[in-house]
Order: sequence, then structure tokens, then C-alpha cells
Amino acid sequence: MKDNSLSKASKEAPITSKPRVGVFLCHCGGNISDKIDMEKLKDSLDATVIEEFENLCSINGRKLIRDNIIQNKLERVVVAACSPITHEKTFQNYMTPLNPYLMEMANLREQCSWVHSDGERATDKAISLVNAAVERVKYSQPLDPVLRKTRKSALVVGGGISGITAALSLAKQGIKTCIVEEKPTVGGSMVQVGKVFSPEKMAEECAMCLLNPIVNEAVQHKNIKILTNTRLKKAERRAGNFNLLLEKEPKGVIEDRCISCGSCANVCPVKVPDSWNEGMTIRKAIYKSFPQAVPDMYTIDDENCKKCGKCQEACRMDAIDLQMETEIIPLTVGSVIIATGHKTFNMEKRPEYGYNRYPDVVTQMELARIMGVNGPTNGKLQKPSSGEVPERVVMIQCVGSRDEKPDGRRYCSKVCCMVAMKHANIIKSHYPDTEVIICYTDMRTPGMYEKYYKYGQSNGVKFIRGRPGEVVDKNGTLIVRVEDTLEKTPLEVETDLVVLSTAMEPSPGTVEVSEKLNVGLTEELFVKEKHPKMKPVSTDIKGIYVCGTAQGPKDITDSIVQANAASSKVSELMNGGLESEPFIAEMDRSKCNLCGKCRDVCKYKAIYIPADSVHVDPISCNGCGACISVCESGAVSIRGQSDEAMLAMISGMLENKREKEVRILAFLDDVGYVSADNMGINKVECPDSIRIIKISSINRLTPEHILHAFKEGADGIILGEYPDNPMYQKSQEKVELLRDELVKNGIDPKRLAFYKVYIPYFRGLAKKFRNFDRIIKCIESKT
Amino acid sequence: MKKIQLESKSERKGSEGHKSLPEEVLNNIKASPDLGLFKCVQCGMCTSTCPGARHTDYDPREMVKRVLENDRDVIFDDKIWNCFYCYTCQSICPSGNSACEVNQILRQMAIKEGSGVKKIDSFTTYGDSFFEFGMGSIPSAFFDDMVRDVGTGYLDLKINLDDIRSDLGLGSYIMKGESLKEVGDILDGTLFKDRLEEIKKHKKQNK
Ligand code: SF4
Ligand code: SF4
Repeated sequence: MKDNSLSKASKEAPITSKPRVGVFLCHCGGNISDKIDMEKLKDSLDATVIEEFENLCSINGRKLIRDNIIQNKLERVVVAACSPITHEKTFQNYMTPLNPYLMEMANLREQCSWVHSDGERATDKAISLVNAAVERVKYSQPLDPVLRKTRKSALVVGGGISGITAALSLAKQGIKTCIVEEKPTVGGSMVQVGKVFSPEKMAEECAMCLLNPIVNEAVQHKNIKILTNTRLKKAERRAGNFNLLLEKEPKGVIEDRCISCGSCANVCPVKVPDSWNEGMTIRKAIYKSFPQAVPDMYTIDDENCKKCGKCQEACRMDAIDLQMETEIIPLTVGSVIIATGHKTFNMEKRPEYGYNRYPDVVTQMELARIMGVNGPTNGKLQKPSSGEVPERVVMIQCVGSRDEKPDGRRYCSKVCCMVAMKHANIIKSHYPDTEVIICYTDMRTPGMYEKYYKYGQSNGVKFIRGRPGEVVDKNGTLIVRVEDTLEKTPLEVETDLVVLSTAMEPSPGTVEVSEKLNVGLTEELFVKEKHPKMKPVSTDIKGIYVCGTAQGPKDITDSIVQANAASSKVSELMNGGLESEPFIAEMDRSKCNLCGKCRDVCKYKAIYIPADSVHVDPISCNGCGACISVCESGAVSIRGQSDEAMLAMISGMLENKREKEVRILAFLDDVGYVSADNMGINKVECPDSIRIIKISSINRLTPEHILHAFKEGADGIILGEYPDNPMYQKSQEKVELLRDELVKNGIDPKRLAFYKVYIPYFRGLAKKFRNFDRIIKCIESKT
Repeated sequence: MKKIQLESKSERKGSEGHKSLPEEVLNNIKASPDLGLFKCVQCGMCTSTCPGARHTDYDPREMVKRVLENDRDVIFDDKIWNCFYCYTCQSICPSGNSACEVNQILRQMAIKEGSGVKKIDSFTTYGDSFFEFGMGSIPSAFFDDMVRDVGTGYLDLKINLDDIRSDLGLGSYIMKGESLKEVGDILDGTLFKDRLEEIKKHKKQNK
């Protein structure tokens, strides 16, 4: 059995041994016919019907083609005209009642008449181009574009502001959404920071008050299910959907029984540092992170619980179950959003600032907790060492960020300047006698935030332009050593509280989840977008999106914007379905021995082997053909790009080669093909030896294709591929393999060239063609 | 007002002689291949921990800035002689620069130009003692400083060293005969002697 998404058409129209081919030659208003001898071209072709026309893409052209298909019972069509990039879709539409994929184009304008000055040579080349198309089209198969509807459900990994926003947006669009959060409560960093600011109002607002209504809405929405204490354990891709396994750690408390009275915590004998307050307070082994926590219930922290049973005795609701076990929850969804957030820089890497050595050196997050009304000091600004209000606070920016040292983070963490400004303003408004100094390298307050910066200045916040080198303790006073670079003087600033603005780093959860989902990461281990400019929320894998700080440093506003963008992408996918070209891998299961090599090689994760047969996910497959190379049993092919068709095209290109003539085949991917078209559009001369064949990727080529080309008379082969695709590394390996194959067969490996191609770099491509042409002619003259 | 003048094209392309100062520093044999000179963000972290800067008016950040501004006068600025190569700046620079390395290159340039020679000529006596005794020893010109720093005991030690050694049953530490000649030959063969002479020549001219 073949893969299930083959079109009906293909079953109805088998390939006949000698199909009736019609060739339509376009003059393109002289663009082609002025250079190419149309009579000679016509005479050299072998087909059932050969027609010429002034302008084939016109309405009259359409009539000519259609009438011929019907009257002459054509089974295949070749249109020799401009580039398929310009008009392939147009001509495919002219094919009815034939299947549109039974048409092949020969590129006579961009890649022939426009790049050669010699008419006779251009005509010779045109003959071979049309010839190749005729040979190839005989092996074409009727196909339908792949259309897929995915399940109307999604998983959001991470219950911070990004995850909750994305989930709510999905839920409101009717998409069933599940949020998984590894912590016992949702809300993420936003519930910890206490206050937020907006560039609009020159005031700091309560973060929890902003977040709570959204969280409540999410909790109450019928389309949202929230699983806390839960992680993604396993993920598998199947036909556009994701089969997932979630692992829910025991909480020791039965959710719908707990009334959050807290009697259990009162009797619990275990005391541990409370991570929600950055370890500055103590909590019990049975606890609730903070009073407004969602879900509103107590949780046992398994690591520290002694199982003494005291809580169980105290609980009047009988809600505690110390024997609770890990639960595995299966889930199938159509899409996944990664919103796994960030963590902050480990201060142990910067001992020079004395963190952990001096109690009055804290991070901005710790300061946020100290000033949070529900924090360890109930909102009072106090020095951790003595509980006094500090007389001076010095903030150090860029701690661990913008830092090229080996353990540093090279990027700017984007929010720290604003966070420092926020805390400085809060201090200034509540403790006007406390002096605040921010030591900075650059103040980065983009867009409207500049207003807030100015507001801070007018509140009396002071600035020193310089990056401190160390913090030392001199007789009980902290000293910050910094150069005032504007004054050109090294300074020692005395202070009693130092606050470090630490770098944002990818969370361990981001790395873990990306690994499970096979999503690519950046060098810094944030989730990599498909394209940082054009596709900022998509990942390498179709159907998986990213938002929030899992993708890189950003503030709350940007996280919300991106979360909404990700959810709209998910809904696009679910409402519109996915349509893609039908040129995808196809498995002959009778030949497949389930070795799994194809699955392992595919970076798009399009191949899966659920039980005892191999499947291709038509949406994920890019048709690059890497799987063909690794399949030892020859079970893989690319639909619509069969080996027979490739070999026929190669032979066609090399037919009628004259004595001493040099012919070079250029296999270019989509990008390379457009670049070659640009040579034509810009009338950049190209050697007439070059014959271009478009392929999905170099990975599609096998040694057989290359050897066949040389056997049929090719003098050289150029391979061109755009380097920024996930399979590029495989392509490079492929080229090595092809070279080895040439050596084995006694062919000079210099006859095979491999280049990177870029669309605007067409002059470079032309130059490479010319150089290669020269090299080949040189090799020829020596042999 | 300070002006930043346009350079003519030929100047910019430049032959060796016209290479800009930062390029010259980066191309110097002493510069590490990954020296982040152009990446300096003028944060001043180097100066904040530089002991040279704490006790003198030397400012490694400013020195780097002057290099980046192509200010050749920095080579002749006395301040650059206040760095003592502790490498703290290099260890702390977040941009992968090393003020200390830049400084060494500038000093070498100063020596080549002649102006730096007087900064090192007092060290020639170290060289002389190699030829004389086959080993280095603190030049007598530094004795006063040593007494000030260490105390009069230093002078006592110097004067009575031979006696102390013989009391301890040790011989003279000064090389003689064949060994001394051998040391001299090595220093000669490696052109150490020539360089020493060169520096002394400047010293005389400057007097
Ligand atoms: S520490 Fe580095 S980046 Fe900062 S001023 Fe000094 S040399 Fe420049
Ligand atoms: S090496 Fe020189 S410039 Fe660098 S910190 Fe030490 S004394 Fe200062």
C-alpha cells in the first residue's frame, strides 16, 4: 500500500509507454523568437503536436492549448516559454481537463534567449532544453496538492504570561487548549516581580492585579485545561498532529477537596527556603507559593516531605493523600506552543560582585521580592543584613549580559535597564531620602520607554556612566569600584545596598521541551525561529510555535504580542488547513525493512514509524530527498520526481551533442533557480554550455544520476544550494559522497563543483558558471 | 573644538606607513589574534580595577580610546608607563579586549621611536651585570629606593653578603672563567648585546 494521501487522479491515469505529448512554443513577443530560430527548433523536436504562438500566456494561448489537448487527445504537455517561476501556475490552469502536474515547462527566455548573444548556439541550447522537458514529461504523474486539516486542539507548554495569553486567545477561537506548567502554580515570573510599569503612565502598577483577571479567565474557560506540576514527557509527530505524553507529579493533595485553609502547613515540621521569595523566607514542606496562587490549593514538595502524616491529621477536608503517584496523561493535539520562559544568570560566575559573600548584594529579582507587598518584608525596603532602610542603593547593569567572557552572555538582556529604572523610581517615591545610583554602559530604553527614563532622572535617580569592576567590603561598608568614564576618574562609591541587574538566560525547561519536540535552538539555547525577521513565531517544525522569553529576552508587552501572534498562527493552521506542494517522500512498504535510517536523517522530522510500517507526514516533508540516499532497500522515492523522470531529463539535456561541444549540467535548488533567472532578467551573459535542472535539494541526487549524466556525455556538473536550510550539512556530505563515486569510476572529481547560491548574487553565479566552463574546457584540452 | 577630519582616499587605503593606529596595534606581533580592540565599548571596567589607575593618572580605558581615535600622541604620553602588567584589565574586560596588551605594544612603539628609551635605560645596568657576573642583580642606582622600601637592612645585606655566605659555608655566587664567557657568548649571539648598546647610545645622546 502506498501512503494514503495520493490523489484520486493518480489512480485513474497510468503512465502509458508512449504518451501523446503536445509541445507549445512561445515567441514571447520576440523575446524568444528574435534570438532563437523557431523553425529549426520545431524541426528538431519529436512530439505528437508542435505549435507556435506569439503569446502563450494570453487568453488566446489558453484556447490553443486547451483545444489541442481535447482534439488531439494529448496526454502530456510541454510549454516552452518563460521561467516556471513567472508562469507555471498560469499554464497549470490552462491544462484542464488534464491534471496540472502533467505539464512541464522549458525555460527558453530567462535561461536561454536572454543570456546568450549567439543565436545559433542559443537555438542549439533551446533544442536540448525542450527535448529534456519532453523526455521528462513522459514520466510525470497526475498529482493533487497536499491538503491537511489538523485537530482543533493545542498544547501550551508553560503557564507564564505568554502561555496564558496564547491559551486564552486559542480558547476564545474555539480551540481546545491544554496548559502544562512544571511548577505548582501558574503565573510565571510576572507574579514574582510585584510591580510593572508602562511607558504611558508614569507610575508603577501592581503586576498581580493585571495578571489575575487573565489567569481567572483562563481557569474558568471551558476550552482550557490547566495542568500544574506537569511536564512534557514524550512527543511524536503523526500526520500533522502531535501525540504527547504528559507526566503529572503527585501533589499529595486532592485538588477539589482542598479549601486552602492552611491548617496543614501550620503543623508541618519541615522548614525550607521559599524559592518564590528567592529563598529569603522560610516555608513548609506542604505549602502554597503565595496567597493568590492558582490553582488555589496546597501542595506537598515531595523532595522535602518526611511523610510524618501530621498534615493528614490536621486536614479537616481529608484532602491529603501521601501515597499519590505520578500520573501519565496521553494527549493528541494539532499544534504546540512553546512558552517555557527564562531563568536568570547564575551569580556564582561573577564572584567579583560579592553576591553570596555580602548579604547586602542582591539581584533585581530579590529587590522586587523585598519591595513586593506579599514579600519577606511586606513591601518595606530593607537591607537584608540589618533590616534598616538603605541610605544609598547602587545598581550595576549588564551583569552577565553583553559579556564576551566564556561564561558570559553576549546579548543584551533587553529589560534590565527598564527594571532598574522601575525599582529606582519606586525607591525614590517611597524613600526620597535614599539615594539611587545606576551604573550603566548604555541606557537602553527603546521606543516610548525613554519617557520613563526621563521621569526617573527628574525624580532624582543618579547615573554613573561606567561598568563597575568589583564590590568590596571596607569596614562594614560596601564599596563599588567603577570608573566615571565621562569624568575620566576611577571612583569608589560607598553604599549600603548593591543591586545586580542579571542577564536573562534560557530556562532548562526550554532546552528540555525543545529536545523532546525536535525543535531547533539558537547558539544561546533559546528556541530558534524559522526566520528571525519574516517568521518570528514559527519554529523549524510546522505546527510548533514559540512565544515569550523562551525565544529570547523580552518584556511583558512583547511577550503578550508574541503570544497572540503564535495563537493566530495556530488558528490559521486549524481553520485554513495546510496546503503544500505534492512533491513529498513516498514509501514503498513492500521494500521497506523498517531500519529507521530515513527517519533519523530527516531534520524536518517528517518520517515516523509507529508500529510496523513507515509513514511520511505530508505537511512536514520538504521533498529534499535525503531519505532516498540513506535507504539501502530502495524503498523511498519523491512523488512526482521519480528517478525515471530525472534520468530521462538528464538524457534529454545531453541529446544531439556535437563533436567537441562542451555541456555542463547545473542542478540548482529553488533559490539557485531564481538566481539563474535573475541572470536572464538582468541580461548577464552565461556560457552556452550550461543546462539548468531544478531540483528540490542536492540531497535528491544519487550517484546513479551523476554517473548517468557523465555516461550520456556531460562534461561537468555544477551543484548549487542555498546554505540556510536545515538539511544543508547533509548536502555537503552528499557532495563528498558523489565525488568519491566519481573517483571510483575513473572520472576526474574536478568535474563536479558545489556552490552556495543566493538570490541577489546572480552575477556571482554567472561568474561561477564562466569559471567552471573554463576549467572544464581546460580539462578537456588536456585529455 | 576637536575636529575629526576627512582622510583622503589614498590615505585611507594607505601603505604600511599610513596604517591607522588601531590597525597597527592589531597587526603587531604581540597582539593576540582575537584581541577585541574594536569591540571596546568604553565601559571603564578595566580602569575600575586597575591598580595603576588607582595610584596614578593612568587610565587604561582612555588609552584604548585614544588608540581607537588614532591619536598617535598616546605613544609619547608619559602616562602609559604607569601600567605594571598585572593583566587585571584583560581578565575583566567584557568585550574581549586587553588594555594591557595594547599598552605593551604602545610602549614598544615608543621605544622604537626613541622616546621610550629613557624609560628603560636605567634597566641597562641589569644587562651589564649579566656580562660582568653572569647573572642579573639589582642596579646600584636602585639602592636608595630599596632602602626606602625595605629598610637599612637591605644595605647591610648587600655589603656583608660575601661574609654571610662564607659563614654559611657557601662560595661566591658570581660566575667566573669559562662559564662567564659562555654566558657572554650567548648574549652576544642572540643580539642582546647589540640592543643593549643601542639603548645606551640613546641614553648618552639624551644627556
Ligand atoms: S574594560 Fe574593555 S570594553 Fe571596557 S573600556 Fe576597558 S577595554 Fe574597553
Ligand atoms: S595590566 Fe596595566 S592597565 Fe591593566 S589593570 Fe594592570 S596596571 Fe592597569
